[in-house]
Amino acid sequence: MWSFAARTSGSAVVLPDGRCDIIVRNHASTPDEVTPIITGPATQPYRVDYDTGDQWFGIRLRPEHGAALWQDDLGNAPDSVLRGPEALDRLPSLAALHGAAPTLDVLAHIVSAQTWPDVDPRLTRAIDILHASGGRLRIDALAKFVACTARHLNRLFRGSVGLSAKTYAQLIQFHRTLKLINNGNVPIIAAAFEGGYSDHAHMARTFRRFGGFTPSDIPTDLSLPAIPSK
Amino acid sequence: MKLGYTIIYVADVPKTVTFYEAAFGLKQRFIHESNLYGEMETGETILAFAGTEAAEMNGLAILPNNPDGPAAAWEICFVTADVATAYDRALSEGCQPVSAPSEKPWGQTVSYVRDLDGCIVEIASPIQSSA
Repeated sequence: MWSFAARTSGSAVVLPDGRCDIIVRNHASTPDEVTPIITGPATQPYRVDYDTGDQWFGIRLRPEHGAALWQDDLGNAPDSVLRGPEALDRLPSLAALHGAAPTLDVLAHIVSAQTWPDVDPRLTRAIDILHASGGRLRIDALAKFVACTARHLNRLFRGSVGLSAKTYAQLIQFHRTLKLINNGNVPIIAAAFEGGYSDHAHMARTFRRFGGFTPSDIPTDLSLPAIPSK
Repeated sequence: MKLGYTIIYVADVPKTVTFYEAAFGLKQRFIHESNLYGEMETGETILAFAGTEAAEMNGLAILPNNPDGPAAAWEICFVTADVATAYDRALSEGCQPVSAPSEKPWGQTVSYVRDLDGCIVEIASPIQSSA
């Protein structure tokens, strides 16, 4: 669960983490209206503009619950964003937010009242192991941890997360390496090595793909999602 | 500088602490309320366990232990005068046998087991100093 209240106007770059969010946005200019938003598993960065007093309440789903939200549309969900009526079509219970003061508790109650289908426990374990490895495990090695073939594990990822196992691993690797540079004050070349990239160019390509920036020119207005799987 | 801690990242910290109490006769020092960290009473150098999620929180990338695959390239070693009894106890509490007690040419009795996470644990007698 997360929330954000803008103290100034501005914009922020939201980095992709391969997970779906259920969000309620409350504009300061129209305090009685709330906009429900549902995002698909993100693989591309996007910019959000806001005014002073705007508020968001969100629930970030575990990656394997993408299918519960998007169902048969999961294949089209990556990098999709549904707002207002489209979001209500996808999750009708969000209509309960209409006329109510949006809070995280209200949103959490609505989401927890949904029926969340069981997910193959091998996928949940594989996702946790992939996070622990910083996205550095090859998919065939990851599959051995959970006693299935790489092909089957990939099917589980596509069927529940909405992304290939490799793309999800690359997102974890990107976030960890970004943190090594940003929070760990590790030199860029050392971060590429510890992050598991073959060289600086490999890392730079990934940073451009998922962040839209180079490792030496990281924006200061990033909104970093909580990448841990739990 | 001195060696203060050996910290093993494991799937389930409380379960591992309980396992080490039963299999190796250690006592727990404490388990953090998050259940992501626990320490054993092992004297000045502490044997501790951390949840695999804690690795990611600390910015680390690790290869989690896997009982079904080869062990990681390290071991911990417990020293006891009665290796055979300690080995039997470890097996009876769920350790996987790797190598039963045997005497080495240098006079030490050595055995190996794997714990619930697949980590190698050596149980050996003290090395006799050659007078």
